[in-house]
Amino acid sequence: HVRYRMEVSCLELALEGERLCKGGDYRAGVSFFEAAIQVGTEDLQVLSAIYSQLGNAYFHLHDYTKALEFHRHDLTLTRTIGDLLGEAKASGNLGNTLKVLGRFDEAVVCCQRHLDIVSEISDKVGQARALYNFGNVYHAKGKSICWSGAEPGDFPEEVMIALRKAAEYYEANLAIVKELGDRAAQGRTYGNLGNTHYLLGNFAKAVASHDQRLLIAKEFGDRSAERRAYCNLGNAYIFLGDFEVAAEHYKRSLQLARQLKDRAVEAQACYSLGNTYTLLQDYERAIDYHLKHLIIAQDLNDRIGEGRACWSLGNAHTALGNHDQAMHFAEKHLEICKETGDRTGELTARMNVSDLQTVLGLSYSTNNSTLSENKDIDYNLHGARPRMSRRHSMENLELMQLTPDKMNGQK
Amino acid sequence: DEHQGEAKSSAVASSQIFHSDGGEMEPETMEIKSVSDYFTKMHMGSLMSRQKG
Repeated sequence: HVRYRMEVSCLELALEGERLCKGGDYRAGVSFFEAAIQVGTEDLQVLSAIYSQLGNAYFHLHDYTKALEFHRHDLTLTRTIGDLLGEAKASGNLGNTLKVLGRFDEAVVCCQRHLDIVSEISDKVGQARALYNFGNVYHAKGKSICWSGAEPGDFPEEVMIALRKAAEYYEANLAIVKELGDRAAQGRTYGNLGNTHYLLGNFAKAVASHDQRLLIAKEFGDRSAERRAYCNLGNAYIFLGDFEVAAEHYKRSLQLARQLKDRAVEAQACYSLGNTYTLLQDYERAIDYHLKHLIIAQDLNDRIGEGRACWSLGNAHTALGNHDQAMHFAEKHLEICKETGDRTGELTARMNVSDLQTVLGLSYSTNNSTLSENKDIDYNLHGARPRMSRRHSMENLELMQLTPDKMNGQK
Repeated sequence: DEHQGEAKSSAVASSQIFHSDGGEMEPETMEIKSVSDYFTKMHMGSLMSRQKG
């Protein structure tokens, strides 16, 4: 009788945990699942389900160490009781968790185990899910190896190998989910495949994938996914050199961010638009969007974003010859870089302040037209005047790195 | 020196601008186990066996 009551109590607690997690309240869900474990159960299938859900709840709460702990318990348990399908699921979840923790080699082993089991039992849905996870692990691995300012398509071979593997797994997944007619799964895969092609430097393929993602997001009325697709499309069009088209996509992404009331992504869209208009040399519009970005960054107390906005605003004002305004933002940029310990940013800011001091010093002894003439001369005669030419050559370098295709194409 | 600084700052600029994260990724799909599903099956099973008996 006592054991029966104990079992009921464990089940009841677990069921309540499930209900709460389904409703998105993972914090409360965790409490109920942990209480259920405290009470205990002799039913190992129930225990496996509790471990698994605790792992997922911690995953959603971004506590990946705890998630790892519980998915490991689940894996050990399912292996012990010989629950093959349970082991496949535990391996999949463990793989996803190890991926987030940057332990890619272990994650690959888990993904392979997941895939092997579901292939063995000819579970098509399971195979598709395992392939998607596999693709995600290789994508994350590729991205983690090298991110030191290199441009998409121009990474070390090790990175490219991982990204190509990711694309292969996504393609294999797509073949199955198309056959199954699972549109939601197709949408997710197209999104990540698009980002993989983007990093591989296949920008046209990236656009094709994100176009599909967008179509499916619209089918489902999934506005978050729609916004993501517009943003990713904007990024790809930048590298194709179609800045106008990129701007249109970023604007749609901005509209959706506002509808969704997501301030952080609204700020990101404004920042992307500011940069796009800089590339279009429409500095007034660039300033407008960078100011919008600045205001949100300040509201959200995002000092790094604020610093970035000041740096961009300084550059745009310099391009327009508003040296007083440029100085204001360059000084603010310097102050923020010092505060956030951004040494590289601090160096850039110091150079900008010093350049602007020279220009502003000049403007007291000469009129504005002479000043802008000097600027043009400096621009043409690289290195004739170190300070001014440095600033201009730096800006050119940025544009070249951002848009190699466009720049080469224009010349 | 100055030249080094220039290369560095432009590298930071370009990597920060459009692809700070290399694109926005889709969410992970986690495998789901459920006590209620299992319990329902178990319960149904016991009901069935009771009916049979």
